[in-house]
This record gives sequence, C-alpha cells and structure tokens, in this order.
Amino acid sequence: MSRKEMLSAYRDDIYTCNRTRCGFCREECPVYRINRYETFSCRGKMLVARGLMEGALEPSKELAEMLERCLLCGYCQSRCALKNMDIITAMRQSMAAEGFASKAHRENAEKILSEGRLFDSKVLAKREGETPIYLGCLYRSRPKELSIVFSVLERLGIHPKIGEEQCCGYVVEATGFLEDFEKVKKHCMEAMNQGHDGVLLTLCPTCTMTLKEKYGVPVQHAMMAVHEKLKEPEMARKLKPLNLQVTYHDPCHLGRMLGMFEEPREILGRLGVRITEMEHHRYFSTCCGGGGGLRAVDDRLSIEISKNRVRDALKVDAEMIVTVCPTCESTLLRASGRLVNEIDRFIDVRSLWDLLDQSLSG
Amino acid sequence: MTAIKFSEGRFLDKKIMEKVLTELTGFLDSRATESPMHRMAYSRDWSPRQKDASDLPDIVVIPKTTDEMVCIVQIALPYEIPIVPYGGGTGMGGGVLAWKGGIMVETKGMNQVLEIDEKNLTATVQTGITIWELNEILAKRGLWLPHQPESKRSCTIGASIACDNDSTFGLRYGKIKDCLTNAVIVTGRAEAVRVGQRKCSFSSTGYKLLDLLVGSEGTLGVITEATLRILPMPKGREVRGYFFRSLNEAAKGLERLLSAGLGIESAHLNCRHRLHFYTHTFRQKFGREPDVPDWAEVILFLSYAGDKEVVAFNIDRATQILVEEFHAHLVQEREMVEGWWDSKHRLEFIPFKQKWPDSQRQKKFGSADVGLPIGRLDEGYRHYLEIAKKWDQEILGMTVYNESPNKATASISFAVFVDDSHETSVKGFYQYVREMSEMAVRLEGTMSSYIGDGDRLGGFNQLEHGLSFEYMRRIKEVFDPKNIMNPGKKFESRWIQEGPHE
Repeated sequence: MSRKEMLSAYRDDIYTCNRTRCGFCREECPVYRINRYETFSCRGKMLVARGLMEGALEPSKELAEMLERCLLCGYCQSRCALKNMDIITAMRQSMAAEGFASKAHRENAEKILSEGRLFDSKVLAKREGETPIYLGCLYRSRPKELSIVFSVLERLGIHPKIGEEQCCGYVVEATGFLEDFEKVKKHCMEAMNQGHDGVLLTLCPTCTMTLKEKYGVPVQHAMMAVHEKLKEPEMARKLKPLNLQVTYHDPCHLGRMLGMFEEPREILGRLGVRITEMEHHRYFSTCCGGGGGLRAVDDRLSIEISKNRVRDALKVDAEMIVTVCPTCESTLLRASGRLVNEIDRFIDVRSLWDLLDQSLSG
Repeated sequence: MTAIKFSEGRFLDKKIMEKVLTELTGFLDSRATESPMHRMAYSRDWSPRQKDASDLPDIVVIPKTTDEMVCIVQIALPYEIPIVPYGGGTGMGGGVLAWKGGIMVETKGMNQVLEIDEKNLTATVQTGITIWELNEILAKRGLWLPHQPESKRSCTIGASIACDNDSTFGLRYGKIKDCLTNAVIVTGRAEAVRVGQRKCSFSSTGYKLLDLLVGSEGTLGVITEATLRILPMPKGREVRGYFFRSLNEAAKGLERLLSAGLGIESAHLNCRHRLHFYTHTFRQKFGREPDVPDWAEVILFLSYAGDKEVVAFNIDRATQILVEEFHAHLVQEREMVEGWWDSKHRLEFIPFKQKWPDSQRQKKFGSADVGLPIGRLDEGYRHYLEIAKKWDQEILGMTVYNESPNKATASISFAVFVDDSHETSVKGFYQYVREMSEMAVRLEGTMSSYIGDGDRLGGFNQLEHGLSFEYMRRIKEVFDPKNIMNPGKKFESRWIQEGPHE
C-alpha cells in the first residue's frame, strides 16, 4: 500500500482535525511540554499528515525523527474524538516503508523477528501450574521481579503455568514495521496455541493491549485476577496493612486503552494504602516517558518526560509512586534518581506487586 | 531536510532567507527553523477555508524572552520581513495565517509566570502561557483570572489580548481588557515598550495605549508580557437554565435581574438550534435529545457564584422574577444544564468523545460574530436566518454572550456549518459574513465582537469606522512604520472587498 493510500484511510479524520484546531490535545502532550514546536503535538502532526497525504510533504529522515518522538501514549486521543494514534502509526509505517525509520528501531524489529524477544532473557521460567500466563519480554528479562509476581499469585491461590512464548511485537508495529509485525504475530500465535486455551493472564499492560486488540486473544491482566481473589474473605485476611501514602501512576495501555483504573486503586485500598491523585490521572494520565519506542531513539527526551511525571507526583507530596507496568516502573525510577541531583529529593517508585508481596509477608 | 512541493510555500528570496536564518539560529539555535514540516504545522487556524488550504510561513521561531523577540524584529526589519505572532491557533478569523509569508513567532515558548502578587492581586506573566495553565497555577492559591474564553485550554494570554476574544464570565468581569493593567509590546520598530499603569486598574495620565493593544491582532507588535488583575475564587457556583419565548424577552429578563441588584456571573442566550450544539455531552451520556418544549425559542443559561447562601438567594429571586414577570420556565433537566456547563466552562467531555472534532466531521463551524444593540436581537435573528439561507449556509444557531460588566449586551455568534470541500461554498460563507456585517452596522452595531478583523474584514471595516479608519492606519504607522507586523490583517482582506456582492 502506498503512503497516500495508507493515510487516505484516515482522510476524514485528518481533515476534521485540520478544520477544527481546538488544540485540547496540545498543552499536556508530554513531548510538547518539552519540544515546543506545534509539530510535536498531535494537532501539528495532523497537518503534517495532510501534507504527506496530499503529497505536499515528502518522507524524510527529519520527518521520521519527529514522528519517532511520539510516545503513542494516547493522551491526545482521550482529549479528542479522532483516530490520532492510528494516523501517527500510519505515518510511521510510511516512513519505515520508505526506508527512513531509525537504525535503532529497525534493529529492534529485526531482533524480535529473529529471536522472538526484545530483551535478552535471563530466565526461562517454565512452570506447570493451572493458570496460563503470558510474561512478555520485560518480565522474562527480570527474574527477581518475576519471582515476586509468582510468589504473590501462588499465595493468592493462582498457580502460574508458563511455557514457551514469543514477543507480542507491539514495538514492531508501533515503530512502523507492518510487514515484520505480521510475521511476528504469526510466530507469537503459534507459540501461544501450543500452550493453552481459554483466558490468558498477562503481566505487561502493553502485551495485554496488543494481544487483545491486534490478536483478538482473550486476555486479562493478572492484577484483575488478583482483584477478584481479594474479594474472597480468606484471601483478604492474608493482607497486613501498610502504612503508606502513595500516588498511583496509570500506565497508558492499561488505563487509557483498556479502562483498568479502579482495580489497582481498590487493591491499594485493601492494603491500607492512602492514595493522593496526581493532577493527571485515569483517562488523562500522562506517559512515563517509556512509550512508543522513544527510549531507543532519544533517551534524553525520554528522561525529561519521565522527570516531568515524577514532578507531578512530587507536587502532591506523595511518598511513593506505585504502578503496575514494568516499563513505567523502571522509567520513573530512573527519572526519580536523576531528579535527586536537581531537587535533592527522592521519591521511590514501586510495583503494586511489591506492595502486595510486602503486605502478604507482613 | 523534508522536501516540500508547493512552490507558493516560500515568499522570501533564497539568499535573504539563508542570511536571516543564520542570524536567527545564531541566538535561537534549534528554536529557529525553515523545516517544511514545522512550517506546515503552523499553516492553519480555526477559520473557515477550503479544507486543503494552507498558508506556510517561511521560518518558525520560538523566542523565550522579550529580548529575544526584540532581536528577531531587529533581524527582520532591514529586509521588511513579515512577523506573525502565533498564540493558541484557535482564532476563527485567520489572524495568525502567514499568507504573506515571513517569520512565524511561536509565542508559547514565552510561558513563564513572572510574579503572582497576592497582596495586590495581580499576576505578571509572559504572554505565551495558556489561560488554562495560568488558572491551574492560580487555583492553588485560591485565585483565578476570570477572563475565560471557550478556547482557554489552548488560547494564550497574548492571544486573548491581541484578539480581544470572548469570555464566559463577561457579564460580571468583562473581558481581558477589564483585567489587563500593564503590558510589554515589541513593536515594528524593534523596541520593547511598556504600556499601561503597572498594577493599577486605571490611569488618567497620558493616552491609553494599553487599550490599543486589545484587539490589535499582532499588527502593532508582539505582546510579550502582561500584568493582569486577578481575583479570589468564589466559594461556590451554580448554573441554571430558563426557557423563553423570544430573544428580546430573555434580554429584558436579564436586564431586569441586574436592575434588581442580583449577582449574575454569566449569561448566555442560545436559540433552540444552537442548543443542539451544546448538548453533545448530554446526547453521548443519555443517548437522546434533552427535553425542550416546542414553544421555547430561547434558552438562557445563568451562572451564579459566591457564598452558598448568597448564591441560593440569587437563584431563588432570579427564578421568581423570570417565571412570574417574563413567563420563563426553569429547565428541570439538570443533566442538560450541567452538560451545557461542561461544554462551555469546565470543558469536561467524555474521553474520546470531545465535542469540537466530533461535530465538525462533515462541515466546518463558522460564525458571523457581530455585536448588536440589546433591543434588536429578534430583528438580528430574523436577518440571520434570511442571509444564511441566501448564501446557502447551513444554520447552526445563535448564541448571545454578555461581555460587559453588569449590563445586558449582545456579542453574538450567528453560527453556520460551512461546506469547506470546495472554494465556492467557502466564498459563500464570507459573503454571508459580509452581509451580516453590513446588517450589524445598519442596526447600529458592530461587525465583529470577539473574532476580530483577521484576514476577512480588513479594509471592508471602513464601512463601520469611516474616517477613523485613516487614524487607525496612522497609529499603525507609529508602531510599525515598515508594515512588517502581521501584514494582511485589519487593513486588508483576502475574502471580503468593497463593492457589489459577488
């Protein structure tokens, strides 16, 4: 499919944005908060999309670099009624198809295609339980975190069954390599079909969204299963209260995309944790800085975005940021460490799995 | 470098362009660019024009200080390069379109709060800050800036001053002019000039140059700093809606409430057609139209703010007066009233269902924003229906905003849906605007009450201003002798010319 055809599928939305210009998407876009050209906001990109669609603008390295500085976090879309993320992804796909995608993204796509994973696995955690779980590349590369997750699940009566798996390929599609994504998807489906039937539990919000929306696989984030389990009085009795005051960071893919806002908060409530909301939360939460493949191409920008998110937590005087996404957790923790040099204050970033473990061990 | 195909996208001579860009990047670094993709991103505002139209500036710059802005003008001046300030980009009059090319100044790089003086209740800001962001900052101190256009999420302080846009709370607090006490403008002489009376709300010394800035649309210079009178936030706010049989009755009702001594914070009259536009959220939530009686031609929305018991008294008394003396009906469907307020003030929409893009999927919102004497609303409305029909414009409805403190006034949006798929229908829209403007002057009103001249009424507005138009031109020359500050606006139109209708 040609670039013009690719974008023409969104012709009506592109022209609607061009004629509307309300700009509701702009000011809180995490990238625009730092790179102040309109081009880095969704509204600006929709004019660029029109330029590409009409043939006024030609693909280029510069344009690809601008598009790669988008987190695909979906904030813009939540303030809108148009398919902004699909349009930005289509533009990225046209850049990749015409050879302008960055080397880092191309190499990541190739690695996933050839090795079935994005990160080098340090663990092959085969387990013979009853509940099939899809770990995702990040958890597969983090044995320590994974052991905490397994421990929590086991204590709540959920016994993970872990088999072979292949990367879901989110990053391949998001960075524009559509043909490669179709191949990755095939590999991933083959691996999954060998392992289970029924609902698949997932640990990573991004994998959850991808498997659900791009694969049509019945999936449920494991925290939903935990939420259900904690409704059972005997399970709830296992929890010991934690005297903490935290803020909860909604991962974009779990919250805005899949609508899972209340369950993590309710679990925190069951742990006796007090939550202070940041200004941007739930549907209008802002990205941790780790989305859309940004870290691979512009780590400096990613850190600055993360720092802004940590600042959001500091503004409400939270003792700790809690989240349920391995990307958000590591990205925010890194930024929090960097901010210490600037403001002499550290805010810890923890996974909800950690707090559950602490409470169950207490 | 991104390739760009449209040849009309470049106004400057290549050699001059290179020289100017080198000078600009010398102190702005990556905050100056000639990249086509960035130029493309600044090629439209919210004004009706053909859907594939675009006006590209030659260069885009992002200054962060007044001094940097002075340097930009110093560089542009010898070559007489146009300078076009860009604020929120939500204007509906083409005011930020660089149709004569030049340097687009992205003012949102100047977005710092310079001082909040709680004792004297003023905020001094760089003008690129949005109204939304400033209010978020002020809210933490229990303060607010009452100038609140519907575009406030995106609209900047500078744009509000330069465009003299509308304010939801105009009935009690007026518009930006009523908040503004001081400003710094970088003129077309490359000078930063402070105008106004510092932190005082009035002055009887000198000429009121501060007032000249309001509605100047970048044609006198780029406003870089402003001092604004801010207020303690009211403790509570309630909104009510009332059905009326006619516009004039509703206006009389409002005037009566004010003469009764009641505190009304905002008043908006919507014809029943226009109400549909503001019930988007209601329809999304409940899947049906709100209940509006057949006889009701007008819905008057009022907001009341202050201490709880005072608000309660105001609501009770206002409702009693409107019902007993003007036969109005209080809107019982609270969800509809709250939905309207979500849409108008809170800007709270269901995620992924925001009103503006959702309602402009097929056609473009367009408006004749005339001002009329308060007693001629029904007359104006009749003309609107006829003129819109004559120019084949789909009627969207009318809203009357009250923009002057403590009196019923008529800043009106006579809105239509513009078919922007071809040139003829867009031209038809501007013929509609022209005839509505003529009507307004005939009825002793004004052509524009919140959009401004932009690239549509310039020159044609002599019809309203007569000889004073020449004095305006001379004032422009004092600030901008080389006509580099946003040329093609206010004194010149791309759309409406004098002479017979097309």
